[in-house]
Parts: sequence; C-alpha cells; structure tokens
Amino acid sequence: MSFLKPKTHIEQGDVVILYLSVNSMHAIEAVPTIVNKKGETIANIFQTSYGSLKVESIIGVEYGSRVELSKGWAYVLQPNPELWTQTLPHRTQIIYTPDISMILHQLEVRPGAVVIESGTGSGSLSHYFLRALKPTGHLHTFDFHEARADQAREEFKRHGLAEFVTVYHRDVCNLGFTSELDGVADAIFLDLPSPDLAVPHAFKALKLSGGRFCSFSPCIEQSQRCIQELTKLGFNEICSMEVLQQENVVKTRTVPVIDLEFLKSPKTSETPTINEDNKANKESKKYLTSSNPQILPGHTGFLTFATLPPNIAK
Amino acid sequence: MTALTTPNIQLGDYIVIQRQKYTKLQKFGSLDTTATLGKETLELKSLLDHPYGSTFKMCVKETKAGKRGAQRQHTLELCSETELGSTRENLGISSSGADNRDICDNGEAQALKSSDIEQLREACNESSKIIEKLVENSKTFHNRTEYSQEKYLLKKEKKYFEFVQIRQPTIRLMADIFYRQDADKVMGIRVDTLSQIISYSGVCGFGNYLLYESGTNGLLPAAMINAIGADTEGTLVHMHPGNVAQKQALLALKLPFEQQQRCISVNLYSVLREFYQNGTAAVDAVEASPKEEVNEPETDQPDTSTDEQSETTEPSTKKPKLDGETQSNPRTPPRWQLENKRAASLMHAKFDSLVMSAKEHPSSILQALIPLIRPSRPIVIFSTCKELLLETYMELKSTAKVTNLHLTSNWLRMYQILPNRTHPEVNMSGNSGYLLTGYTLQ
Repeated sequence: MSFLKPKTHIEQGDVVILYLSVNSMHAIEAVPTIVNKKGETIANIFQTSYGSLKVESIIGVEYGSRVELSKGWAYVLQPNPELWTQTLPHRTQIIYTPDISMILHQLEVRPGAVVIESGTGSGSLSHYFLRALKPTGHLHTFDFHEARADQAREEFKRHGLAEFVTVYHRDVCNLGFTSELDGVADAIFLDLPSPDLAVPHAFKALKLSGGRFCSFSPCIEQSQRCIQELTKLGFNEICSMEVLQQENVVKTRTVPVIDLEFLKSPKTSETPTINEDNKANKESKKYLTSSNPQILPGHTGFLTFATLPPNIAK
Repeated sequence: MTALTTPNIQLGDYIVIQRQKYTKLQKFGSLDTTATLGKETLELKSLLDHPYGSTFKMCVKETKAGKRGAQRQHTLELCSETELGSTRENLGISSSGADNRDICDNGEAQALKSSDIEQLREACNESSKIIEKLVENSKTFHNRTEYSQEKYLLKKEKKYFEFVQIRQPTIRLMADIFYRQDADKVMGIRVDTLSQIISYSGVCGFGNYLLYESGTNGLLPAAMINAIGADTEGTLVHMHPGNVAQKQALLALKLPFEQQQRCISVNLYSVLREFYQNGTAAVDAVEASPKEEVNEPETDQPDTSTDEQSETTEPSTKKPKLDGETQSNPRTPPRWQLENKRAASLMHAKFDSLVMSAKEHPSSILQALIPLIRPSRPIVIFSTCKELLLETYMELKSTAKVTNLHLTSNWLRMYQILPNRTHPEVNMSGNSGYLLTGYTLQ
C-alpha cells in the first residue's frame, strides 16, 4: 500500500526499497513469512550482497532508517515511481524517468485527468500516471498480452492504487479502446510497434473539448507514419523530440603540478639535490570535478506529441 | 477539468495569444487592453465571452508610421477554422522546377517594391491575397523546387498571417513562452528540467511540499500547485527571498480559490524567524516594526524583481483587501503574518519533499531547510551552474543525511519529421541546467 501517499512507518504488506548503494537497490515486500517451493511457510529472509535480512524485522521501522544486514547495513526507503522504475521486475522494455517526465508534462497530466495508456508493459509509466492523476483522475491501461495485464492489475492492487486504474487485456490496434471510452480522455499515450494503427482510436477516445496525444517509438519510421495519420485526422501542434539525461560523476581529483622552469638554468653548486627536485615535482592541486561516464544512453525513443483541437467532428 | 464546455475568456484573465508558432502571455485586464505582436497592435475587447481555443482574424483599423516601418492597429473578429487553409491550395500552384540551377540572387526576382507591398497590406485583409500578388510578381517562383516554394510560402505566410488563436494558459504553454522570451525569467529552467523537477520531487495530490525559489515568475510554484491539483489534500509552502512572491504564472492558471489557498507564499527570512523564535516575542517584534521585517531581505541583496513582475505581482486584489481588513478590524494581523503562521505549523509537522532553485548559494539555505524534511523523502536542487551543485553534493555526502545523490543534466533535441525530409532541428538549446537529487535519511 506504500504507493498511495507519503507515509512514515513500514507496515506489513508494504513494498519497501532496500537501498544498499547507488547501483544496488531491491524492492521487497514487508511480509514476515513466505511460502517456499515445497509449499511450506517459512520466515521471509532476503539475501543481498551484504548478507541476509530478516524481513519481519523491518515492519514498524521508520522509512529512511538504517537496517542491519548480516554482513553490513542498508537503508529502507518508501517506494515511489522513480525508485520503482529502477527496481521493478521487467516484463518488457521500460521507459525511464527523463522520457516519462516529459510525457507527463506534455500531456498536462494533473489530478483529475483521464488518461489512456497502451501498452501497459511492466507498469513503469503507469505508476507515474497514477501518481500524477490520483485521487480524482483515472487511468485506463491496455495490453494485448493477457498475463502481463493480469500481473499489472495484481500489482496495482498490492500497491494500493487499484481504485484509480482499469487494466484491459485488449489489442487496441485492431479493436480500439472500447466504445465506453469514446470521448472520455484528456490524454492518450501510445507505446506500440505500429502507433499509426491506434491513432484513429485515440482520436475517438479523446474528449470533444480536445486533448493531448503522445507516441513513444524507438524508430523514426514509426513516428513518420504516426505523424501522417495525426495530420490526416486534424491534430495540430505536432512536434517530435528526444530527451537524454546525462549523469555527472562528481569526484575530488588531486592533480600533480610539475615544475619545468628550473630546467632553463644550468645546475650550479647550490642547485637542489635530486631528492629536492623530486619534492618540487610532487606539488599538487585539489579540484572538485565532474565528468560524464564512459558510456551514456545515446538513444531511448522519439517522443511525438500532438494536440487534438476542440470541437472536431468525429 | 472534466467540464465538457471550454471556459470563456473573462476580464482579468491571463490569455495566451498564438499567431502561428509564436505565443505570448497577456493579461486581459480591461476592455481597452491591447497586445503587441511585433509591429501589430491588437485590440482585445472583442475576445470577451468567447470560448478559449477560438480563432480570430486581425482586421487593420489604422496604420501609423513608426520608427521601424508602419505600426498597425487591429481589431479582432471571430472566425471559423475553415477560413484557414493551406496557402498552396488556396493559390492553386501547380508548376515547380527541379533544382535551383537557373535561380540567381540578383535582387530582381520580386517586381513589387516595398512601398507597393505596404499599400497591398492596407488594401487587403487576407494574407493569401498578398501572397498571391507576391507570387504573381515573382519572376523565379515557378522555377523553384516544390520544397523551396513551400518554404517561400511559409516564410511569407509567417509575415502576413492574419489569424490569432486565444488559448488558456497552462504550465506547458507558459514554460515555453517564458523560456523562449527570456530564459533568465525562469532562472534558466528548461522544459525537460522542469518536468524532471516535478517527477523527482514526487509532488502530487497527497502530502506537504516545500519549495524555495528566488524568481521564476511564479512558474515553479505554479507547476507544483498544478501537480498538487484541485480538491486534493496536498499543500505547498513556497519560500521566496523578496517582499512579494513573483506570481505571474500562478495567477495565469486561474486556479480555484481552495487550491490557491494551499499555496502558501512566505518570505524565507521572516518565516524562519517565525519558526525558530516561535512565539509571541517574535510576533511582537514584528508588529513593532513590520516595515523593517519585510524589507530585511532587500537590504541584504539586490532586488531581483523586474518591472513586469512588480506590475503583475503588485496585487490589485491583495492591497485593497488588506487595507479594508485593517480598517474594519485593526487587530487583525496582516496577511503575510497569518501565512507565516500557517507555514510555520507545517514546518513543525515536516514536509514530504524539498525543491530549491536559488540564485544564492544553495548550501546555507539547504542547511536551514533539510531539517524540515521527513526521512526517506526526495530533495531536488536546481542550478544553471554546475560548480555550485558540485560543492553542495560534497557537503551532503559528508553529512550522510542524504543518500542516492545524483547530479544530472539533459540533452533535448527537436526533430522535423516530414515525408522524405526528416532531420533534427538546426538549432538546439545547449544548457538544461543541472539537478542534484537525493533522498533524506533518518
């Protein structure tokens, strides 16, 4: 239930982020016992690279506290869409925070908004939509893969978000978003191999007073076909962009400064000995620096946005 | 927002005027209000009571000789979308050349003189007519390639386009306008960075949020209170260093009263004094010298307010109301003092995240505000200057009060996607600013 609103203490059943380091985080469920493969109920022990954690011991602990592991320690954090995106079980490729933030901004999602999403995938983006539109809005999310839709539905329930979301198992390219959703949406998001096939359905599902549209595609050809379709149906403000986030790695560096001036004059008897030469060479300066990592994400996908203007006959 | 009817344009509203890709935020203060778009002046009175999203035609009323050519004053007439069509279709252009081998830039292509064109402009109300004449009198137009013709038409259309659309301000539209007009107006917060501030801070309909901001024309508090939403339980305490908060973007959103009430704008110095000295002593001191109290920040640092902001934030509603209150009941403390008290009680209860965008060094402000944040909550600090955040990063790291520290920046590239003409835009913005993010610990 730990996704609904900010809370202070871990309750039984909460998803908790076990934070070991920047590169090592786990999402665990705060339940004292689990059922093993043999069908026996056993104590819930979670294994990490710093040893094991008896999960029961974190129930009732304040979020943000340090908890002891058998060979070290970790922090327990309350999950949110950012941390969830980094720890969730991948069922598909997912979209990350920089693209998602732009999607939410451009789709103007705020509490009360009705949003349609396809496909649900691993639910990374869905959690962001839900945070932005609850408690007065609603998310309708579609996936053509039945098991994925079921898993997502189950997950939203466990996260305390079920009342704000409806999960559909449906192929929207062929079947559309159901007639019940005609004219209800403020915003529509598509992450599909052929977004152009779903554009006419999106057109129908958007409100008569207009709305915003977004399609995320890794390939430019998908965006091209999508834009042709959008133009045909009277969407305007069509624009496409790419957002890439860069990490700046912060480090204090000690840089040696070498002296070459003394080489200009010949050695005299008073010239420092070799030892002293070395000492002069070892002068150094400290700098606070930042640099980009060796490998960066160079491409995620093209984001295409458009507006359906008000009062277009459908 | 579930209302099916789009709201109508009212006096006192901020409106977004759009002419092709150009957008502008304008206050529709009175029926005499005019808006300036380049050399064109628009009389806004005919907008009243029409729904947002409507398109209006600019009709020349008078032309005055100005310093830089003719200044035209226009009235606006409501028109239907059907009047807008592709210039190419309107003109029925059929022939075009294969390449530009026969086109020379000798300045003789256009037979019309600029004085002829000025006359045309006054005689015709429609841009398509003007462009038609320009095309007729161009010796080279029909030799141009189809793409080149398109470009020519778009260029001319941009110049003579006579339609404007009136839109309701949203965070998306305003972030665009402010950044394009002058990025400094919003402290250089680019759209991708703004969107990430909202994500990383976790601001939503539940919880209490703390913002320190030293001048984004109200964009940052507006974006946060927009994310908090109407009819929710979230609250924002917005700390600022000046006498009055910059509120243009907040006012432009025209939020319902209950939502506005949940954005508590307070002066950083006086609210911290209220918080720490917490009690009658401080209040007495304040009452004894309210002038000094409110002015204090100004003596400490240069005034960051601009003319426009003082015009828009000098609250036409707030001032008289205050006066009225004091007249009817001289015992009622001034509004800023009540806001300080509300903010201080939230500060005692602690916040669910901290967002900072400071012109000052973030370090000392952060030290003062971090204790007000609950453990396991996000902090987001923005700066256009990386060095400031590097220092802050190291300080936070050494205190071990914040974990999962990341310093990030962004790369944003726009694309032109057209059949057979897809490429990145020629220019791109080079500075997204930097975000330092992390989570507080117990």
